[in-house]
Amino acid sequence: MASDLPYAADAEVSLSYDELQVLRIQYQKELAQGYVTVQSKFNYAWGLVKAPIREHQVEGVRLLQELYRAEPTRRRECLYYLALGHFKMGNFEEAKRFNALLMEKEPTNMQAHSLAQLIDKGVAREGYIGMALVGGAAAIGTLLVASLIRRATRK
Amino acid sequence: MAPAAKPAAPINCKLLLIGNSSVGKSSLLLRFSDEQWLPEDESSATIGVDFRVHKMDVKGKKVKLSIWDTAGQERFRTITSSYYRGAQGIILVYDVSNRESFDALPRWYSELETYVSDKVVKILVGNKVDKEFSRQVPTAEAEAFATRMNSLFVEASAKTAVGVKEAFTDVVERIMDIPELWDSAAPGVGAGTKSTTTMPGGGNVNLAEEDEQSGGGCSC
Repeated sequence: MASDLPYAADAEVSLSYDELQVLRIQYQKELAQGYVTVQSKFNYAWGLVKAPIREHQVEGVRLLQELYRAEPTRRRECLYYLALGHFKMGNFEEAKRFNALLMEKEPTNMQAHSLAQLIDKGVAREGYIGMALVGGAAAIGTLLVASLIRRATRK
Repeated sequence: MAPAAKPAAPINCKLLLIGNSSVGKSSLLLRFSDEQWLPEDESSATIGVDFRVHKMDVKGKKVKLSIWDTAGQERFRTITSSYYRGAQGIILVYDVSNRESFDALPRWYSELETYVSDKVVKILVGNKVDKEFSRQVPTAEAEAFATRMNSLFVEASAKTAVGVKEAFTDVVERIMDIPELWDSAAPGVGAGTKSTTTMPGGGNVNLAEEDEQSGGGCSC
């Protein structure tokens, strides 16, 4: 039976407004009380990174970076979601860097492998778009030149 | 035997694997989808959630299974609950050589009560029967528990492949028997309706409580 490759589910699926709101309220409540638990911060960062809105992703990555520095026991999870966050923002170089760190620690981690494939696809797509832009510009240039020549020769 | 009127589009079916950490949820999925097995020292704990798509034929119908593999670690408990939404089948896994993983099942069932409709098909899977010599959970006891919890039951081993295919096909076949779970034309679509309504209200309280618990445990 056919089976597709493993897939970084968190790259595509985002939370509903209410779900993210639950995590945000918990985080902000603790922030106001002056002590934020690792769990609440991580949960909120996770929700933000999954979100489709870029500002959310940026904020999520920022929180994850803080957690990564402060909590050695949470590093593998932080690395994965940092890679995912950067991937979603289109920062493929950073995404690769964080994911490579995770793969270095866990060479057989299949989630990291599948994320690596997604990142490579993203890089390739960006390459095609780049080529298409260059190609498009060249085509327009050719047309312009052609029309100029035609106009010049018509006279 | 598919009626001529049936559209060619496959039926989508969402399954969720839950259970304590290290009981072998990812291994069962890997065995089922890729017919592979990774020894313990090579496999790594799932981060948050993983996801696989698998196509199969059940009762003459094409079914596209999306199987969500959740992290069993306590620290992911609050965030993985958001994946229950829209699931038609739940695979609850414990390790037959680990009593604790069996004793934790009532907690997993109470989570199901909160997040999914009671129409959702459940199967209890006792994994690692290849470790028969260190078994801590008798088959009869688990079977009786499964019956009480209105769940299907099977013992399996991701390592030897025993019972793995059965576990997945049993759930899907049962789902196919309940049209309201998968047929969008059927009245009262069961999948997801309950979870979406409980999430803002009931889920709210639940999430907050768990946050405090696990947060307190981890931050010291």
